[in-house]
Amino acid sequence: MTETSVIGVGTVVSGHVRGQGSLEILGRVEGDVSVTGNVVIGPQGRVRGNVSGAQLSISGHVQGDLRGTQAVLLEPGARVAGDISGPRVGIAPGALARGHVQTDGEPAPAAAARPAAVVARPLSPPVRVAPAPLSPPPQARVEAKPLPQRVEPKAPVPAPLPAPTPVRTEAKAPLPAPKMPPPNRDVRKPEPPRVAPAAPPSAEFTPVRPIKPEPRRPPPPVVPVLSKGTKAKKKKSHD
Amino acid sequence: MAGTVIGEGLTIEGDISGDEEIVIHGTLRGRLTTTDAVTVAGTAVVGADITGASLSVAGQVTGDVTASERVDVQAGGKLVGDIKAARFTIADGASFKGNVDMEI
Repeated sequence: MTETSVIGVGTVVSGHVRGQGSLEILGRVEGDVSVTGNVVIGPQGRVRGNVSGAQLSISGHVQGDLRGTQAVLLEPGARVAGDISGPRVGIAPGALARGHVQTDGEPAPAAAARPAAVVARPLSPPVRVAPAPLSPPPQARVEAKPLPQRVEPKAPVPAPLPAPTPVRTEAKAPLPAPKMPPPNRDVRKPEPPRVAPAAPPSAEFTPVRPIKPEPRRPPPPVVPVLSKGTKAKKKKSHD
Repeated sequence: MAGTVIGEGLTIEGDISGDEEIVIHGTLRGRLTTTDAVTVAGTAVVGADITGASLSVAGQVTGDVTASERVDVQAGGKLVGDIKAARFTIADGASFKGNVDMEI
């Protein structure tokens, strides 16, 4: 029958331990441990080797990989140097671990692990779930706020976006500037003239026709990029 | 409450050493050293040299035994190996093969 085996506090096992049933390690084991049942390593337990079992509950020190077909639980005081894998992995506060941790596979059918599972659940799920809901909102807020503000006053959408780059390029096209280095500008001199003529006339027209905000849009991107507030002030002052 | 219990179905290949009682229901191959009592239950299969204060064999043991106090082979037990102990008993129905040194 599968009775629980115990390796007492004063016992040292040098070699492999394997078989059926559960195992409680209160002493030292120098070698691999592989059983079909649960493995409990007490606070005084020391294992130097790989440990595999259904559910591992570690309170002692382990130098080796841990593999639990149901769960791996590191209790407070546990100290593990090695990889940990299992459908459920729980690391309690006060437990130390160094190595690769992976939660994979589906827990083997067993009701015995339930109580421990409850403990493990709160640890892993929150970590995964938390990041997802948190990340989207911040992005949405950041994007939503700046856009409406910029669009409402002047509606020159393209202007605000290239803001940082136009400062360097100054009079030349805002969009190509970031991608193309200075040499390109010189080569493209024919292009800027097209834009430039459009801008000056618009600036001239604007004073005559205050009703049309559109002609002003081209110039703002170039100069106003210096600061968001200055744009609004200038426009307001002009109006 | 034994200090160490090797349950049935469990196999240890290697050395066991300690200072507490050891009860074996499973399988052991290697060496067993303790300062306390050793019990080999009926289901156990031990292929190891055993050193301890006392040894009780109800299962199968193959290996040399050194006990500071006594060695008892129970009925149904099987022991193959040399025995060195102050006291040594073989129950009716037990199997034994080996030399005995009772430190006369």
